[in-house]
Amino acid sequence: MSLFSVLSIGASGMSAQRTRAELLVENLANAETTRTPEGGPYRRKDVVFESGAVGSPFSSFLDDQMNSPGGVSVAQIVTDTRDPERRYMPGHPDADANGYVAFPRVNPAEDMVDLMGASRNYQANVAAIGAVKDMIQRSIDLLR
Amino acid sequence: MLDRIGGQLERYMDLLSTRQKLVASNIANVDTPGFHTRDIDFQSEFQSAVGGAPQVMEVPGLAVRNDGNDVSLDRESRLLAENALRFQVASSLLRTQIRTMRAAIDEGKSS
Repeated sequence: MSLFSVLSIGASGMSAQRTRAELLVENLANAETTRTPEGGPYRRKDVVFESGAVGSPFSSFLDDQMNSPGGVSVAQIVTDTRDPERRYMPGHPDADANGYVAFPRVNPAEDMVDLMGASRNYQANVAAIGAVKDMIQRSIDLLR
Repeated sequence: MLDRIGGQLERYMDLLSTRQKLVASNIANVDTPGFHTRDIDFQSEFQSAVGGAPQVMEVPGLAVRNDGNDVSLDRESRLLAENALRFQVASSLLRTQIRTMRAAIDEGKSS
């Protein structure tokens, strides 16, 4: 029930949103990538969040017993399985026999909007940490 | 003297930190599919004579989005600010109590 565990909840939110932003930036950067180590064009990646106890190791046991609120974590990173977008570019080195090149199905507008969401939610978590930090400081000031 | 008012203030601050923890958890889970906003009934928890862990419940009547998540960032940021301010007031009051007590101990020399 300590205020310090609230800090780790906020931190879990920050780290989850950061992972999401990283993937979104990766998607934007690879919007036109036609070659990947796995072969074929780049495929869009996204995160799946899940709620759960992400407390500090010190308090995690007690928190488990008390069914206290948890933070958020990245459950998995999903890769887009849709067929790639095909563009007719006969001169392209990656073109197939019919002259079509497979391009990633990345919509920059969609990713930019998601990126704004990730950034704002990151800020919300920072604000939560700031408010709790102030509360902890006030409690410490009681001793002065 | 410190027991009567100080004890109430302690319980108040304890409940505020529990609530703040739930708010932080709600904010962290703002993008988690199927997550429901959780809170405590502050009034009844504060008035109940028995201390101990408060009852956490899901908040009814919030707009549910397509992914089953009903966290409202507006509600949470309001509560975040409100809890921090309430905590500030309570800690100032408790500090005054402690200062009065200390003045009595020091025979009024300091304070």
